[in-house]
Amino acid sequence: MAEADPVRAAVEKYVGKAMGPQSAAPDPVNVPMIRHWVDALDDRNPVYLDEAIAATTRFGGVVAPPAMLQTWCMPRPKIEGIAERGGAPNDMRFDNPISVLDEAGYVGTLATNSELEFVRYLRPGDHLTLSNEVESISNRKTTGLGQGYFVTWVTTYRTTAGEVVGRQLFRILKFDPSTIDLSKLKAPR
Amino acid sequence: MTTRSQNPSQITVGDELPPFELNVTSTVIVAGAIASRDFMPAHHDPVFAKAQGAPDVFMNILTTNGYVARYVTDWAGPEAMLTSIKIRLGAPAVPGKPLRFSGRVTAKSAAGGACVLELAVRAVNDLGDHATGTVTLSLPLG
Repeated sequence: MAEADPVRAAVEKYVGKAMGPQSAAPDPVNVPMIRHWVDALDDRNPVYLDEAIAATTRFGGVVAPPAMLQTWCMPRPKIEGIAERGGAPNDMRFDNPISVLDEAGYVGTLATNSELEFVRYLRPGDHLTLSNEVESISNRKTTGLGQGYFVTWVTTYRTTAGEVVGRQLFRILKFDPSTIDLSKLKAPR
Repeated sequence: MTTRSQNPSQITVGDELPPFELNVTSTVIVAGAIASRDFMPAHHDPVFAKAQGAPDVFMNILTTNGYVARYVTDWAGPEAMLTSIKIRLGAPAVPGKPLRFSGRVTAKSAAGGACVLELAVRAVNDLGDHATGTVTLSLPLG
């Protein structure tokens, strides 16, 4: 029998459950945002903007860069006060395991894994919604950043018609900075 | 990039993708953050980033995924359709430390009239591995 861990016990109720409400993308997939991305990342794949070339490919027309999947659903930010909120885009709060870990002292956050899956490429006009589900929360681990818990959730992206077009698994380590063993921290090369 | 796609019949497991070096600047990081609609101050405000213990502003994950996708499709061509990007995140991508991308074909199969490829992809800088992982994609067969 593992040693009782009240923090882990307090977050158990979230595993396998929805995290926050379903939310809708502010705008449908659209060419201006694709153009902004293409220029920002200097990604010259013609299927993203060149209708003539895209029409000759398997896609039959322009499609959005697949890695923009998450971008379409990013919440509209409230810029004023964003630093004071630690970077949270808005004031929206909902019951979730990350806040519980924050309150228990595991205030550090380190993203460790991102796994994007694309069911199909998006076209201008597709309007997305997303929903999050907590996939797993690890037992307390000792890591290079001290004691912490790995929290994994899966975001499912659907069109407003309900078609699943992609998924993203995301894993973060929530750690307690006061437990970092400084003698074991590696100096940057 | 070229508008010609890779010919699946000429791809072999073990093939290396041409290396690519991204000159990471504050502009690259901020442009990617805003194009991906990520307004987290750590990705555009060096004062905020340093107060959090980071050496400088650092690239957001959406941009990292975008560059991984670009690296793969710059090689595979416009007919490539990515089906997954699975990465482990490590050292931050910060201004002044170029990111070096490398990739290798690790599996090749056929499904539904398409060639299915699995690639091992890595982006490293002087701090270590920024992103390492697997990209899967399909290319139409002839």
